[in-house]
Amino acid sequence: MKTLIQLYIASLKEFVREPMTLFWTLAFPILFILIFGLVFSDADSPSYEIGLAVNDTGPAGQALGAAFHSVPVFKITEGSRDELIAKLKDGDLRTVIVIPEGLSEKMQAGEKAEVETVYDPSNSTSAQLILQIIRQIVDGVDRQMAGAPVRLTVEATPVAAKEATFMDFFLPGILGMSLMQLGLFGTAPALVALREQQVLRRLGATPLPRSTILASQVLLRLTIGLAQMALLLSIGVIGFKMHVQGSVLGLIGFVVLGALSFISMGYMIAGLAKTQDAVTGITSMLNFPMMFLSGIFFPVEVMPQWMRPIVEAIPLTYLGDALRQIIVGSPPAHSLSMDAGVLAGWLVVCGLLAIRLFRWE
Amino acid sequence: MPVIEVRDLRKTYGETRAVDGVSFSVEPGEVFGLLGPNGAGKTTTVEIIEGLRTLDSGDVNVLGVDLRRDVRAIKSRIGVQLQTTGLYPRLTVREVIDLFRSFFPGATRSTDELIDLVELREKQNTQTKQLSGGQRQRLSVALALVNYPEIVFLDEPTTGLDPQARRSMWETIRQIRQGGATVVLTTHYMEEAELLCNRVAVMDQGRIIALDTPDQLIAQNFSESAIEFESLVEMPPEGTFKTLPAVLRTERDSRRVTLFTRDSMATLSELTALAEAQTIKFNDLRIRRATLEDVFLKLTGKRIRD
Repeated sequence: MKTLIQLYIASLKEFVREPMTLFWTLAFPILFILIFGLVFSDADSPSYEIGLAVNDTGPAGQALGAAFHSVPVFKITEGSRDELIAKLKDGDLRTVIVIPEGLSEKMQAGEKAEVETVYDPSNSTSAQLILQIIRQIVDGVDRQMAGAPVRLTVEATPVAAKEATFMDFFLPGILGMSLMQLGLFGTAPALVALREQQVLRRLGATPLPRSTILASQVLLRLTIGLAQMALLLSIGVIGFKMHVQGSVLGLIGFVVLGALSFISMGYMIAGLAKTQDAVTGITSMLNFPMMFLSGIFFPVEVMPQWMRPIVEAIPLTYLGDALRQIIVGSPPAHSLSMDAGVLAGWLVVCGLLAIRLFRWE
Repeated sequence: MPVIEVRDLRKTYGETRAVDGVSFSVEPGEVFGLLGPNGAGKTTTVEIIEGLRTLDSGDVNVLGVDLRRDVRAIKSRIGVQLQTTGLYPRLTVREVIDLFRSFFPGATRSTDELIDLVELREKQNTQTKQLSGGQRQRLSVALALVNYPEIVFLDEPTTGLDPQARRSMWETIRQIRQGGATVVLTTHYMEEAELLCNRVAVMDQGRIIALDTPDQLIAQNFSESAIEFESLVEMPPEGTFKTLPAVLRTERDSRRVTLFTRDSMATLSELTALAEAQTIKFNDLRIRRATLEDVFLKLTGKRIRD
């Protein structure tokens, strides 16, 4: 234990005394946030042209219609489906929501029903936000109505009344992304450097168990991950009036779990790659697909169907989902326990491979 | 009882037999040298003994412990200095020594003692990446001495050092030995081996081709010494030198003559007589004994630094 702490402190000193690494590890996510914040946050009151076709005259249709009207950032145009889609194609509308005929009956019968959304994928970042809001509302209405006698006071659902800012949607994603990059870019190259500088070999000549060496490295990365979280959240809350909805403990739990999964992925890569160049190749190869297929910047819906299995496999998808749920209170794409389960699965698999592939030189 | 016993050690990398059936033992308190050119298998051999590499076959016993049985027990009783010094670049000399002291469960030397031992007092608060090659090497030796090791392994400790730094390292090695530790030293510097080692194993192509004290190695391979000179006047015919007492053979290169002799004094006195008779006129007269370098050349047919 004494040794582990000493080794951890030594690695922390090494990290903190390398100004460039320190700067980029902490500054990169911040730059990202600031750029997003400034570019999209004309932000205080963004407004979207939304078409709404209400074909259901029952209570569900009414409730949904009212709920959509109550969203401050939606400017609703009502009309028939065909009319509205024509406008969408002309570029006058961002998204068209169609509440199908017979929705109320289906819901009362306990059957599955779908609210159709047609959107323009060319502006995928705002589409992402719009889809999130729509999902939240449908989810809220659904929760209010399911199985219960119809209540006509749906328009007061808290979800719909809540003010959503851009930061609410992007910050969890950026936190997820920076944890992933901490694992990919922050771990593997550092370990390969220790190997190339022969530090690992030198440690290997002492009676230190290899698990202690790995543990000290993992602890260091975790510290960095938590520092990134604290920094990002402070900026979001102070600078962009973001709201943290869920429990802080749950948030920390997911940050730690997510960081561990990606760190173990980094160590696995460090074991696979012989040189720095190989590390760069492998990490970039993983970074881009994970970043863009995980639903952090683009809604999962814009992706072609054949990509969905990839989306469903990527750990960042689940980390992003969990962080969104906890930080913003987004409707879940998966349950939190499923998110945690998938991340833990990745952690175990990558962790075992990392130990197996670990090389002193 | 030997502190290291190696029997028929083998290690292959792909097609290369890096260590090809090596056997030797090291006695307590001696400085044991592994001498040979780069790629001879010295480093592989010591790194197997240090537990840094696995062996393919053979037996290695260190301080009475079978290497295969308990590497960690061995590692906590030996000190290792690697050929390329792996140090944390951003930590200071003190911090690195403190860190390594925390790695060993048993008694350790104090940080101050180690700093003084390798004369790094002035650099104790300097980050290791700012140290010179010699200073890094000295720090690396300090790290090998942290745990009062019973055996200290030094792998090419003076490579890349200037002559002064090299002499200072030799002094440190003598001190380590006086402190009672056994030293295993690999080097490709012949004079270093001749100066420091009690016994030397000469390695080439993964095998030990000779093992003895430096004096014995030279005596076994060269019963003769060489007398070299130039003459400022016209050389007498070749036969003149061959008939001198104790001369075994001669070599002649334009004005320069080398006489190989069993008894350099006897040959020299006759040679002086020739000079007095003005048959020859000496210039640049030298007598040299064979060195380990010559031994290596004779045994392998090549120079060690090739």
